[in-house]
This record gives sequence, structure tokens and C-alpha cells, in this order.
Amino acid sequence: MAAWLGFVAEIVVLGLHNLLRNKLRSLLTMLGMIFGVGSVIAMLSVGAGARHQILASIGELGVRNIIVNSIRPPQEKKGDESESWAERYGLTFRDRGLIEETCSSVERVLPVNVTKKRVWYGSSRVEGSVLGVLPEHMALFGMTVGRGRPLSELDERAAAHVCVIRSSLVRELGVLRDPLGMSLSVGSFSFEVVGVLEDARFQSHTRKALAIDDRAQEIYIPYSTSMRTFGTLSVVERAGQSEKSIVELDQLIVIAKTSELVFPTSRILSSILDSLHKRRDWEIVIPLELLQQSEKTQAVFNIVMVLIAAISLVVGGIGIANIMLATITERTREIGVRRALGATRRDVVLQFLIETAVIGLIGGLIGCLFGLGVIELLVRFTGWTALVEPQFIAASLGISAAVAVLSGIYPARRAAQLDPIAALRNE
Amino acid sequence: MPERIVELEQVEKDYGQGAAALTVLKGVSLVIERGEFVAIVGASGSGKTTLMNILGCLDRPTRGAYRLDGHDVSKLNDFGLSRVRNQRIGFVFQSFNLIPQLTVVENVEVPLLYSRWPRRDRRRRCLELLEAVGLSHRLNHHPTQLSGGECQRVAVARALVNEPALLLADEPTGNLDSRNGEEVMRIFGELHAAGRTIVLVTHNPEIAQALPRTVEMRDGLVLRERRAACEVAN
Repeated sequence: MAAWLGFVAEIVVLGLHNLLRNKLRSLLTMLGMIFGVGSVIAMLSVGAGARHQILASIGELGVRNIIVNSIRPPQEKKGDESESWAERYGLTFRDRGLIEETCSSVERVLPVNVTKKRVWYGSSRVEGSVLGVLPEHMALFGMTVGRGRPLSELDERAAAHVCVIRSSLVRELGVLRDPLGMSLSVGSFSFEVVGVLEDARFQSHTRKALAIDDRAQEIYIPYSTSMRTFGTLSVVERAGQSEKSIVELDQLIVIAKTSELVFPTSRILSSILDSLHKRRDWEIVIPLELLQQSEKTQAVFNIVMVLIAAISLVVGGIGIANIMLATITERTREIGVRRALGATRRDVVLQFLIETAVIGLIGGLIGCLFGLGVIELLVRFTGWTALVEPQFIAASLGISAAVAVLSGIYPARRAAQLDPIAALRNE
Repeated sequence: MPERIVELEQVEKDYGQGAAALTVLKGVSLVIERGEFVAIVGASGSGKTTLMNILGCLDRPTRGAYRLDGHDVSKLNDFGLSRVRNQRIGFVFQSFNLIPQLTVVENVEVPLLYSRWPRRDRRRRCLELLEAVGLSHRLNHHPTQLSGGECQRVAVARALVNEPALLLADEPTGNLDSRNGEEVMRIFGELHAAGRTIVLVTHNPEIAQALPRTVEMRDGLVLRERRAACEVAN
């Protein structure tokens, strides 16, 4: 066994020598392999990244939660409604009551009141999305307060003018002092900062599900405070005109008793809302569904990528087979000499298979580096998330060595079948 | 230890099949004993190359028997012949046939590689042999950096590395100038003196004349044999 391993090691070294002797040709031989392996790595990593992001998002959103958002219905023809001074749409207090009363599978319903306001600190200003929430809301979405304290039951009862903000808001406002205890002007009211959240922001899927404006900063205040100070009327200045709308409940977080009850509950919710609303001014977001949807899109992407990778690997394999055939014609004399000196057919097959495996492995390694480069560029320019796991690299190296060995079988057998006498005579 | 290294009995060789078959060897019987130094001569087409291939186990006789070093090798398959070539035969070719991408010492190691010698023993053995042919200073050169004479000396070292029963040389001086040719022949002489069994194929009558025994081939048959008197006396 040791002697045999020694023999293999010897041939590996020989194969490396042969590769290095003709670097350009070796590189061209490996090119198909490099692209194939590169795309395999990129595909796997982008797929894993997307999955990871979705899973993280589901972690944030919670598997038992159903999010019901009010959405502005598509503008209808000028009708009686446009006569009124503000457009009224979305979830109502009555919806909430009905859900709480009729749905036995629902554990709790949390209302969220969203108001768009400008936030001032001294002379710096940012667009803010002010979310009035109940105290348990933050814990439910895994928001941890890094400094200070979260909103409490007392704040809620007293309708206190306190708020919890994200650290990114502190940065954006250019606050240099300790943000705790400072007061922010939200609209025309003043709020005291009692807590700063750890994370700069949510995952993008989470933001979409919770209908959080990407450009605005979130500011969390007690629900009661929000209802009392800002109410249900929101005014948005748009193109010189002020658009007014009245939304009683911007968002409802419905918590099912168990994760199995999520889908049945969502069906009940949608039938209730269907019967109460004439227009489609609400949407239901289920975190679990998010995963399924993204997997569907991912599946199409994966099929395309697998095809591309397979085609490049096949082309790479053919390239290797082609070059090996040429190499064997070129080295016929060497094969004859080795046969005369006692190499068996098996030794010759082994030698060429090991040489192709070496080509495959080196091509695979370069391909991995190439793939990592592609991933780096993708992440930088498209903002996708990619997750390179060590087993992807192992898998790609394995695939490349296997493809190389497979494409080496025919040339190696051709070499072994050469008649030693004819091979020796070959010039 | 058998005294008869080579024993050919009515060996025939056909090329092709059926009616188109061409018989190149037409019944050659030949006995070569341990320690002999034999030249095989003959015009081209006389069958001496085919005889050489059969002696070297590169080819099998169509009919007849060939015993090498006491073993019947006329019915072996490709694998068996490869093992025999590896263990019992050393080849020296006209055009040296060194592997260009290997160094001198690696070239000498090749037969040992196929008999799976451990690396360290291999190195030691090769160094000994290269020293014997006077090439210790060229170990890590490549064949292209050597003169023809040096290449042939490397090839001789390679042929001897497996302690073969039979050393086969096919026109070993054919590609060399006379000075290098003489040097190579001197090495063969020394090997003969040391008791090696050597068969040498040559066109050169001068070389053949100098050897103790000459076998002349014509039309696939042994035409005549000549033995030097001193050798017979032995």
C-alpha cells in the first residue's frame, strides 16, 4: 500500500511538472473547468445567502405572526368619495374587534399606528416613520434595546412622550452627545429618547413585510401616545398639494396560538376582511409564505444556474479530453518507453488519469477563486447576500476532479492500448 | 539458477491474418547461456528486429516456445509480459529513448517505479549505477542538456537498474560518433566481463566481429553462427 501511494505521489509530481511546462496550454485546458466551478460556487453561495436572509427574516418576523397591513387602494374614478376632504381606507377598529372576538385560534392582536413625520434635532432633520406600538411589540420582533430601556406598560398607560430609536437615526441626525434623555421634535411634539435599539435596521424582507418605508427612520412611541397626539389622520405633502387620508389601523399583528394554526387563521382573517371591506385596502403577509415564495423564485434561478454550470463543466470536460488526446499523440514515444521498461496497461491508465485529476483539481481551485471573485462583485454591485459554506468548495473541487477523471478515461485507455513496439518507433 | 538464459525453440512469427499473413520468422532456434555476449546481425528485412522484439518480450511468438531465464514466456498476456520486461530485461535503444521531461536520475528510476521500490532505496541504487557509468556529476540534468554518449550511458544505467537477466541493445552505437560509440562498447565489454548476458543487434560488421559470438539472420532464419575460438575453449 505504501509503495503504491509512493507511486501515485510520484505520478502527481510528474503531472504537475507537465502542467507547468506549458502554462498557457494548461490554463486553456482548465478554462472550461474554471468557469464551470466558478458558476457552481457562485450559484450555491447566492442560493444559500438568499435562504439565510429569508430565514433570518422569518426569525425576526416570528413564525406565529400574521401581519395585516392597510394599503391604499388603487385610485378610482372621481366618485363620491373624492368629494370628502380626506380619503378613508384600511383596517378599522371594528375589524380588530371582530377578529379578537371571533377567531379562537388567535392569541393576541397588536395594533400599530404609523404616522409620517419630520424629526428634528437642533437644525438637523430626517424623514421619520413614527410607529405607535404596544409594549410587547418590540420583543415580538426580536428588537433588543442596546442602551436605555424599552417602552413600558406605564408609558402606554400614561401616554408618555417617550420614544425608542435606532442607532442609525442617531448617526443620521449627527448627534454627538449621549442620545439617552435627549429630546427630539417629532412633527410639532417633543419626545424624550429612552432607549436605542441595537441593530441598525431590519432585514430587507422584514421591512417589506412590515411595510416600513425604506427611506424613513423608524421611531417607536407608545400606541396610546400615538393615537392621542397624531390620531388617525395623516397628511402627506405631494407636489404642492396635501393629500389627506384617514386610516384607523395601519397595521395589525395577529399572533396565532401555534405555528400550525398560522395558515388556517390567515384564511379566516381574509374571509372576515373580505366580507367587511368593499375594496381591497388590506393585505396579509405571512412570514412562512415569504419563504415559500422566495423558494419558488429561487428554484427557477437554480435551474438556470445548474444548466449553465453543467454546460460549462461538460465543455470543460471535453476540453480536457481533447488536450489529453493531443498530449498522448505527442507523448506516444514516452508511453512506448515506459511500456518497454515494464509499465503495465494499468500503470499507463493510472498515470494519465492522475494527470487529468491534477488538471481538474487545479482548475477547480482556480475556479473556486474565480467564483469567490464573482460572488464578491455580485454582492458589491447588486446588494445580494451570499453565503460561502466550506462544503460548497469541497463539493466543487470534488465535481471538478470527477469531471476531469471522467473525461480522462477515454484518452488514458487509448494510451494504454497503444502497441509498445509501434509506440517506440513513433517519431 | 538456470544456465540457459534464452531458449528459443522453432519460433515463428506471422504478421497479419489468414491468406494475407506474412511470416517474418520461420522457425528460429537459439540458445544463449548465462554470461554470453552475442551479436545479432543481418540485412534489414532479415527478421532481426522481430527476433529482438520477441527476445525483449515486447511481442509474442505466433508458434514455438520461448523460455527466458527458465520461465516460459511465450504464452503470457500483456500484463505478464510487462512484468517480465520490468524484472528480467534491460533495454538499450539506438535513439536512447530517455524521457525528456525527467532528469537523469529520474530516468534511471523509471523501471524501479514500476516494480514499486521505496523512494529512498531507488535513489541509492540509481546513484550507484550512475556513478558506475561516470555520470555522478549530471544527476539533475535533463537529457537535452547531455551529449549523445552521455545519454546512452544513462540508458545503460537504466537498463541495469532492475538487475535484468538479459541486456538487450538495439544498435546502441548507431546514433553516436566513433569515440562515444567506443566508450559505450567499452562499458558493454566491462559488463560482459562482470558476467552479464548481453544480446546486441547491429549493422556494423566491425562491432560484430569483435564479439565472442555472432548470429547472422537472413529471411527469417538463422543463416549462420560464428564463435570466437577463445570463447569455445571456455
